[in-house]
Amino acid sequence: MNKHLANVNGWTIGAVLIIILLFLPNVSIVTGVFSPVSENWAHIKEFMLFNYIKSSLTLVFFTALFTIIIGLSLAWLIAQYDFPLRNFMKWALILPLSIPPFIGAYTYHGIINYTGVIQKTLRNHFDVTPNPAYFDIMNVPGAIFIYTLFLYPYVYMITRIFLSHQSASLIESARTLGKGPLEIFFKVVLPISRVSIIGGASLVVLEVLNDYGVVKYFGIQTFSTAIFQTWFGLGDLDAAIKLAASLMGIVIFILVIERLLRGGKQFSYSTTKVRPLPLVRLKGRKAVFATLYTVVIFSVAFLIPILQLIDWVILTYGKVPMQDVLFYTKNSVIVAGLGAFLVIVFSLVVGNFSRVVNHKFAKILPKLTVLGYSIPGVVVAVAVITTFIALDRFLAPVYQYLGMDSELVLSVSLFMLISAYVIRFFAIGYNSIETGFDKIGTDFRDASRMLGANSLRTFFKIDVPMMKGAIISGFILVFVDILKEIPLTLILRPFNYDTLATKAFQYASDEKIMEASQASLLIVGVSTIAIFVFHKLLREEPK
Amino acid sequence: MFMDIKNLQFSYPKSPLNTVDNFSFTVEKGEVISILGRSGSGKSTLLRLIAGLEMPAGGAFTLNGKKMFCDKTFLQPEKRGIGMVFQDYALFPHMSVEENILFGLPKMSRKDKKKRAQEVLELVELIGFEKRYPHQLSGGQQQRVALARALAPEPELLLLDEPFSNLDTDLQVKIRGDLRRILKKAKTTAIFVTHNQNDAHALADRIVKIKDGKIEKIGRPCDLLGVSPTEIPGMVEITYEELIGV
Ligand SMILES: Nc1ncnc2c1ncn2[C@@H]1O[C@H](COP(=O)(O)OP(=O)(O)O)[C@@H](O)[C@H]1O
Ligand SMILES: [Mg+2]
Repeated sequence: MNKHLANVNGWTIGAVLIIILLFLPNVSIVTGVFSPVSENWAHIKEFMLFNYIKSSLTLVFFTALFTIIIGLSLAWLIAQYDFPLRNFMKWALILPLSIPPFIGAYTYHGIINYTGVIQKTLRNHFDVTPNPAYFDIMNVPGAIFIYTLFLYPYVYMITRIFLSHQSASLIESARTLGKGPLEIFFKVVLPISRVSIIGGASLVVLEVLNDYGVVKYFGIQTFSTAIFQTWFGLGDLDAAIKLAASLMGIVIFILVIERLLRGGKQFSYSTTKVRPLPLVRLKGRKAVFATLYTVVIFSVAFLIPILQLIDWVILTYGKVPMQDVLFYTKNSVIVAGLGAFLVIVFSLVVGNFSRVVNHKFAKILPKLTVLGYSIPGVVVAVAVITTFIALDRFLAPVYQYLGMDSELVLSVSLFMLISAYVIRFFAIGYNSIETGFDKIGTDFRDASRMLGANSLRTFFKIDVPMMKGAIISGFILVFVDILKEIPLTLILRPFNYDTLATKAFQYASDEKIMEASQASLLIVGVSTIAIFVFHKLLREEPK
Repeated sequence: MFMDIKNLQFSYPKSPLNTVDNFSFTVEKGEVISILGRSGSGKSTLLRLIAGLEMPAGGAFTLNGKKMFCDKTFLQPEKRGIGMVFQDYALFPHMSVEENILFGLPKMSRKDKKKRAQEVLELVELIGFEKRYPHQLSGGQQQRVALARALAPEPELLLLDEPFSNLDTDLQVKIRGDLRRILKKAKTTAIFVTHNQNDAHALADRIVKIKDGKIEKIGRPCDLLGVSPTEIPGMVEITYEELIGV
């Protein structure tokens, strides 16, 4: 009897359907490339495309460079040395991740613009009126500054975990060979942590390409803003699709480069025994410098923007009706909760399928859905809306038959937005769930079936309870990502449906910076709590 | 014939040779069979095939008149009425001892379920441990819980994969005796896999020696292995590997 056919059951069908749904929109982008060339597209290609590529790549390159410098130096300090405040900084340095870059961008703009705290203090207390041009951050270097501040934790986190778990014996042997710290850093640490540095930096790069909020607010022309403009400004969806395809091309190019840079060398698994690196205690001036460095980064990337937001919230207390804020909060929680829930359910189905069906195809296919996360939100938005409009056209007879007077049903519903979230953030949830499945293995599942439980009962009584940690952390990660999400929500939300993120973004865009602070602080607060819970979960997870 | 396996064939994907090659044998009701072979010879794979956790490439298998698999059918593991004790026990860590045992019981009243759980716990001498969780038990206790859990639904056939390999040596000898007593008392037909000929000798009614997925010999322990080395004063335990000189 055919082995593979016998494995085709509910799980397989469900998993394959989910994967196809996750992929479908990308197909619409690829086919869009071959649609006839419009006048707009010819114009964009001739005069603008080069600029988009240039500014996007400039942002990507310098942000990657600076996040690596900051992330790696912090990781090295924390992993190798003990100094005052180290234990607090170890996890506090992750916190800037809870501030979405667009909120950081308008907060910093507010801090240093003409009416902001810095220039005001200079004027009022020191009688200095500097040239306002010095304080302009609404440009490319300003955007790089913002991205670096709020995205470096990706590099820091991944590299620190690697350094503190994997490198003990190598670094110790270098120490006993009488090498100084600088030499160890450049000759040992840098080469062995290459893989994790590149891993972290590529997350940063994808975030930069995905960003819409910062560049829109700063008025910088990149792919994201251009796609938006072409679509809504010019009303030319075809040209927008072609732009989206170009951006997708760049992302795939970057992913290929990442693979090549990582190379075949895997240092991370060469030592089987995981032994933490004993810390070197810093004394005197060195200790002061280490503490100062971490305190400065933490302040600039987290403390100062938070204090400023809190200040604004107090100043505007009562100006934004509490009811409104509660309403947006409710909307945010609904879409983020629903999106995260669906991602986790789908991840569980696909993850179980991948584990149970013993076939190469079942292992590789789910990995490809990572593409959804790599592809910038604006592109996903174009893809999803194209698909949903096609779907509505296809279903038009059904709508008529049901006596609905509208031709657009699905493409104006919340359903479309949630689908887009699921497509974009599936990989985040799946990653967590897959790790969970890997950890529990197949023995418990086999044992359960030998005790007469079918696949479904096994899943709910054995797999799900045993994966509680993975499920919760996956849910939190996706929930927070949706909470902070901007381009998908702006484009795909039903008419007049506002979330905390869209509201904060709109206030800021209208230069009502203070009014934006409440919603922003709520987003940051929830994200911070989520990061804290996540951190605790990870630490308590038994080995 | 209670259990009948004919021309069983199996290979893992990408493996050049058959992991289980043209395997045929029969078992009487109530018999305890030992599959003896060195590690990598295909013992675990054979058990997984009988259990239904792997799908054979060919052959036929009937148990108590029911077709488990043949050319046309493949009965899912949960429908076979076969119990299994895994090498590392696979006790569900989020369930107490009692919950582990109750999990496998068929539909019946809560009271009957509890009663059955008490019966098997008594059989393995673990009364009083109901509320403990697996990580609060010693290796030997975990093994007995696994056995109790597998016996509770009264399987027609019990499979045990290297039941002693995770235990200390002195514990092994004691539990070996217990296991035979328990199996005989419960009148269970059992197949257990081992690489240790002393285990096979002490426990089995019949031994099936396998090598590279093929049956080498089938016979009674005394015919196949002679007097048990442990029965000769001053003899130390040796494994199958040592015996055949690897
Ligand atoms: N999941 C698997 N995939 C591929 N090969 C396997 C797998 N499991 C076991 N094997 C191989 O099949 C052979 C038999 O393994 P196994 O049945 O576990 O042997 P035993 O239990 O006798 O030690 C070995 O060569 C082993 O490497
Ligand atoms: Mg084995």
